[in-house]
Amino acid sequence: MESKTKKGAVEKVFTGIRGFDEILMGGVPKGRATLISGGTGTGKTVILNEFIYRGITQFKENGVYVTFEEDKRDIVKNVKGFGWDYASLIAQKKLAFVDAGAFRDITIESSQNYDLSPLIERVKYALKKVKAKRLVIDCLDNLFARFQNKDVVRQALCQIIAELKDLGITVLMTAEKSGPEQALSRYGVEEFVVDGVIELELIKGQQQFLRRMFVRKLRGTDFRSGIVEFEITDQGLIFYPKISATNLVAKIDFQTRKGFGIKGLDDILDGGIPQGNIVLVSGNTGTGKTMFGMCFLKQGMNEGENAVFVALEEPIEQVKKTALTHGWDFKRHEKEGRISFVTTSLIDISHDRLLHQIISAVEGINAKRVVIDSVSSLLSATMGEEQVRQFVIQLDRYFKANGVTCVMNYLSLSNFGAARGQLVGNRATNEMRLSSILDGIIMLLYVERGQKIKKLLNILKMRGSQHSKEIFGYEIEEDGIKMGEKYEE
Amino acid sequence: MAVKYVLKLYVTGVTPRSQAALKNLEKILDEDYKGVYSLKVIDVMKQPQLAEDDKILATPTLIKDLPPPVARIIGDLSDREKVLLGLDMVAIR
Repeated sequence: MESKTKKGAVEKVFTGIRGFDEILMGGVPKGRATLISGGTGTGKTVILNEFIYRGITQFKENGVYVTFEEDKRDIVKNVKGFGWDYASLIAQKKLAFVDAGAFRDITIESSQNYDLSPLIERVKYALKKVKAKRLVIDCLDNLFARFQNKDVVRQALCQIIAELKDLGITVLMTAEKSGPEQALSRYGVEEFVVDGVIELELIKGQQQFLRRMFVRKLRGTDFRSGIVEFEITDQGLIFYPKISATNLVAKIDFQTRKGFGIKGLDDILDGGIPQGNIVLVSGNTGTGKTMFGMCFLKQGMNEGENAVFVALEEPIEQVKKTALTHGWDFKRHEKEGRISFVTTSLIDISHDRLLHQIISAVEGINAKRVVIDSVSSLLSATMGEEQVRQFVIQLDRYFKANGVTCVMNYLSLSNFGAARGQLVGNRATNEMRLSSILDGIIMLLYVERGQKIKKLLNILKMRGSQHSKEIFGYEIEEDGIKMGEKYEE
Repeated sequence: MAVKYVLKLYVTGVTPRSQAALKNLEKILDEDYKGVYSLKVIDVMKQPQLAEDDKILATPTLIKDLPPPVARIIGDLSDREKVLLGLDMVAIR
C-alpha cells in the first residue's frame, strides 16, 4: 500500500494514542470535529476515551465527555481496566461529563414541538466547569434514535459543532456503521458537520478478530493513506502505521559488503551482500537456511554490527540452543545488547504489528543486520501473498533508508531431486513473484546423484554485484557451513 | 387533600414555546388534578446542574416523579390525551 501525503496547513492536536498521530501526521485537526465511524465492537469508544485521557494527563488539555451510550458510572468503571482513573480527574475538575446515557424512564412525545437546547446548555456548562479543550460525543446514533423529530437533532448537532469550532475545541465523535456499502452513519448528517472521517472495521481471522482503520477524509490536512491494523491492549490502543514512502533516502552502498563469514561463499558473492540489500535464501527443508542466517548475523557481530533475528519457524529458545551447538553463544550476545530476537504467533498474524516489532528491535540496538527465518512461514499463516509482498516492500523501504542488510529465508518445496541439466528448470515458485522487490536470491538445492544427496548452492541474482554464476556444492558441518567445489555433471 | 402528583417542568428561558407548554399544563392540572399536584418549573439556563442530574436533553420536558413509574413527557404538551397518558401511568404490581 503506497502512502501518500496530502498538503495542507490546518493545525493539529496530538491525540497521544500510540501510532495514531503518526498516521494522522500530527494528530486530529485542531478546533474541528472528526468522526469515528465503525460497527459494534470496533473500538470507537476506546479511541474517544484515550483521546480524552491522554489529553488531560499528557497535554494538559481538559476534556468533556458527552455520552448517549453508556452512563457515566459505567464508563468510569470500564476505563479502570486501562488504569485510567476518571474519578480522580473529575474530582480535580479536569474532566466533566454530559451524561445522557440510557435511562429507564418512560418517555412520551406529546408533540414534535421541542428543541434540544438543554443539551447545548449542558455542554456549555460542562465546558466552562473544566475549561475544556477537547470534547467527545458517543454516539450520535443513540441521540437520533431517542427523538422522533430528527430535524431538531440535526439542528442541535450543527449548532453544537459550530459553537465548539468558534471556541477552538477539538471534537471526536462516533457513529455506528452498519454495513460496508452504507453511508458512514445511519442519519447521513454527520458527514456534513465533520471535517474528518476515520473508519474502523473488524475482520474475522482464524482464531480472533483483527481490527483495522483507515482515514476516509481529513479536510485540508496531511495524513497517510492506507489500511492500518490496530489493537486494544491493557494500556490502551496501539496502531501500526505503514512505513512512509516519502522522506526516505536509500543508503545502499555497493562498495560495503556484508559477508557470511563462510569461506568460499563470500568470495563468490564478490565480498558479501551489498549494504542495504534484501537477499532471499531459498531452499527445501534441511538445506541449512537457518544456519546461513545465523552465520550472517554471527559474522556481523564479529565485525561489531548488532543483529536482529526474527524467529518465525521455531521458538527463540530453540534458535539459541541450536546456535550454541555450533559454538555461538547468542544468549550472551543478547545480554550484551548485540542481538535481539523477535517472534510472533503465527495464527492471525498481524503484518503491521510484526513490522513494528522488527523496526523497534532494530532501533533498540541500532542493528545493521537482520535475518527473517522465514518469510515463507508468513505465507502459511494468515498472511496472503499480497500481504507478504506489502510486508517485504515496507521492510525493504525501511532497511534501505537505514542501511540495514537483510537475509530472508524461504522454504521452497519444489526443488528436490532435480533432473540432470534442469537444476533450476522447474522452479516456478513464489519466491520468483517476490523477485522484483528482492535485491538478491541465493538458491539452495538438493540433487540425488549416485545414491547420494548432494547440497548445491547458486547465486541466482545479486544486484550491483559481480557474483559467480556457477553452481557450487556445500556441506553443513558442526562448526558451520563448508563450501565445496564447483558442481559439474 | 394530599399531594399525589409531583411534577417538574423543564424549560429553556422564557420563549413562546415554554410559555405555551406551561399554559397547556396548567389547564390540564386545573381541570383534572386540582389540589393533588405540586409543580416546579426549572429553567435549564439558570440551573444547568439540575438538567444534568435529570439527564434532560429536550425542552419542554415534563417529569412526573410521583406516583411511580417516573415518566417524561416531551413537547409543548398541546396533546391533552398524551399528557394524561403520561400522568396516569401506573406501575404494574
